[in-house]
Amino acid sequence: MIRATTRSVYDWFEARLGLEKTLGPSLTHAVPQSAKWWYVFGSMTMLLFMVQVMTGICLSMVYVPSADEAYASLEYLTYDQQMGWFLRSLHVWGSHLMIAMMSIHMLQVFLFGAYKFPRELTWIVGVLLFVCTLGMGFTGQVLRWDQDAYWGMGVGMAMAGRVPVIGPEIVHLVLGGPIIGGESLSRFFALHVFIIPGTLIALLGVHLLLVVKCGINERPTPGVLVDKATYRETYDREVHRRGMPFFPNAAGRDMIACGLTLTVLFVCAMMFGPAGPNGRPDPMLIDTAPRPDFWFQSIFAVLALLPPYMETFLILGFPLLAGAVLILLPFLSGDGEKHWKRRPMAVLFVSVLLVSLGSLTWLAYQSPWSPVMDAWSALPTPAQYVKGRSPLALQGAIVVQNKQCRNCHALDGQGGRRGPALDGVASRLNSDQIIRQVIQGGGNMPAYGQHLTPAETTAVTAFLMTLHDQWEHEPATGRRTPRD
Amino acid sequence: MIRRLFMVLCGSGVVALAACDWMPGRPERPTVDAHAPTMAFEPLWNTHCAGCHGANGRDGAARPLNDPLYLSLADDHWLHMITTHGVDGTLMPAMGTAAGGPLTPAQITVLIEGMHDHWGGAALQTAPPLLGELGAADAGATVFASHCAACHGDDGTGGHGAGSVVDTSFLALTSDQALRIAVICGRIDLGMPPFDGRRGLPPLTDQQVSDVVAWLAAHRVAHPGAPYPAVTSQGAQP
Ligand code: HEC
Ligand code: HEC
Ligand code: HEC
Repeated sequence: MIRATTRSVYDWFEARLGLEKTLGPSLTHAVPQSAKWWYVFGSMTMLLFMVQVMTGICLSMVYVPSADEAYASLEYLTYDQQMGWFLRSLHVWGSHLMIAMMSIHMLQVFLFGAYKFPRELTWIVGVLLFVCTLGMGFTGQVLRWDQDAYWGMGVGMAMAGRVPVIGPEIVHLVLGGPIIGGESLSRFFALHVFIIPGTLIALLGVHLLLVVKCGINERPTPGVLVDKATYRETYDREVHRRGMPFFPNAAGRDMIACGLTLTVLFVCAMMFGPAGPNGRPDPMLIDTAPRPDFWFQSIFAVLALLPPYMETFLILGFPLLAGAVLILLPFLSGDGEKHWKRRPMAVLFVSVLLVSLGSLTWLAYQSPWSPVMDAWSALPTPAQYVKGRSPLALQGAIVVQNKQCRNCHALDGQGGRRGPALDGVASRLNSDQIIRQVIQGGGNMPAYGQHLTPAETTAVTAFLMTLHDQWEHEPATGRRTPRD
Repeated sequence: MIRRLFMVLCGSGVVALAACDWMPGRPERPTVDAHAPTMAFEPLWNTHCAGCHGANGRDGAARPLNDPLYLSLADDHWLHMITTHGVDGTLMPAMGTAAGGPLTPAQITVLIEGMHDHWGGAALQTAPPLLGELGAADAGATVFASHCAACHGDDGTGGHGAGSVVDTSFLALTSDQALRIAVICGRIDLGMPPFDGRRGLPPLTDQQVSDVVAWLAAHRVAHPGAPYPAVTSQGAQP
């Protein structure tokens, strides 16, 4: 009885929507047998995206996108709302996992040559999806509207501001003004909740359509080349002969993977909790160490370690270049060998990429941050470098503090690591060389010629000249201490 | 049967999850807002002043503020003003928000109270006032010869145990006020005695202090330091 009613309701809808007719074939379309566990990452990413949409909608019910109230509403969610912290936790871990999963998915597609003919467009749309996802991560971090957010936004805008000619305009558009202000939050909210997700969902639709239309990549065999003339024919033949329907066979594997993903997500969210909010954003506070989300850390390291003359090029050029390479990739190598064993360049590329991203991230977590922003007023000139110095040299030591040399240069192991430690610098350089270095800069050091008066230059040189290995071993002999 | 059991288990699992709002990841509301502006003396000092004035207010490159004599002479209003606005033309930066620095007026008050609490001592009745006009340079020369030359050399260019105090670059970076404080309070962390401590000599009077500061200040020149000075070992002392 119930069954019959359900059936007729179903039929009523089906007769009008025709869903089964349109979707059915896609669900049961044949996929290659060889599509094994390697192929689940895409579905995992999509699942995480759905989790993000759902948790995001819930969050948006409490979150107030106004500069005055955003922080308070997050605090309410985190500390007062029943399970509110868990929702935030799910959302942030979902985003981490989604970016991670998506990267794995891309690597897998790249290494299995799945971007080659005829799936070029699938790959390109995928790249756009990746860009959108990073955009979601970035804007989401800003919505936290705490000090990390502030930092992230500052860096992002500094990058955008470097774009020639229209840079300032872009910044203005995104921030709603030349600087980060109340307007900015509304803009980022709109980006994070409407614009980017809208684009993402549209692109995702195209991506899925393409996956169905162009078929799932067969597992590559070394020596079997992609030939644009015959590929489709061979693929269709193989799939018909030895394929299996997507649903339920391959889908089953996907579901198991998705279950695993959800478990990992829940465990992470439960164990590690939400991110932040870490203190209200406050442009006056320069003394907070920002802790941007993990995938941001490598950018953080690059920014700190880059020589200044390369900054504009790398910060602006690198993303463009990377994007261009990714998009052009299927056109550059659209056919030929698919198996990674026969594509040494691809493997090399992936290894270099992983190693450099890994080490940059490691550096970012490790690094005694360079430059250390509050070193100048916080790290005392080591007492042994004060004792026995002339009044002029003491002024020089104050110049080193005041002009923030210590943000880049360590003394007695404390201070920034961007430049060499200045202990014993006088044993390496003579006074002329020191003056030249200070005035003209060079080798990653800004030129201080315009920022130091001649008196300051004289003083700082006098001080640096006392940083000599021998000074410590032969304290000024015959010196009378005043009270003896 | 098994299926039903499974459903019951799942259901109760979900209920338990929702009911139990405790999990390792659950954040605790910070008892004190870790990011509210610090209102404690030590962190404020260690972040904003220690770099130049020394870790415990001594042994820094700039004058010690951990100096009971100085603290008894300087009134709070003066300290507040200096900390907020810095000293123009010197390397003492403006630290107050009013002048673009990081510290709110309330924080500066905390700093000043903290300095008194931690480092202050009994006031000296006899000390010359901290602020004063420049005196007569000629008379100052005599004071210098008697009270200072022993350490700073006869002409002030450095001698036994202390460096030059007439170096034009040094003078360019130091205010008259700072010179006066140096003469009155000395540099107890580096071995320069205060006004009443020079061996066997009577304490300096207000007039003598003004005079010797005038003598020092008279060594200032219009264009101190050269872009490429011939620095030899001036930094090191004889
Ligand atoms: C932005 C960071 C930065 C700041 C700020 C900075 N430096 Fe440097 N400095 C460097 C770097 C990087 C080098 C190494 C240059 C090279 O590779 O030749 C360097 C080199 C030097 C050297 C030569 C050291 C040697 O062993 O070869 C001296 C001396 C020096 N800096 C003094 C100063 C002084 C004095 C100041 C402040 C007025 C200052 N620096 C501020 C980054 C900085
Ligand atoms: C970059 C180095 C630097 C830092 C940081 C610094 N000072 Fe100073 N300070 C100086 C110098 C140099 C002088 C001497 C100025 C002069 O020549 O008059 C000075 C002088 C002073 C004086 C004496 C002024 C007088 O004439 O009586 C006080 C008080 C003082 N500083 C307080 C502070 C406090 C409080 C902080 C922390 C908020 C601080 N300073 C941070 C360099 C510094
Ligand atoms: C007992 C020895 C001694 C005597 C006497 C002495 N000083 Fe000093 N003075 C020092 C020392 C030590 C320093 C720390 C700098 C150095 O080592 O050169 C110093 C530093 C100074 C400074 C720089 C302070 C600073 O913060 O950089 C001035 C100015 C100064 N003395 C002036 C005088 C004057 C004026 C007199 C006489 C009234 C005098 N000194 C007497 C030992 C002495």
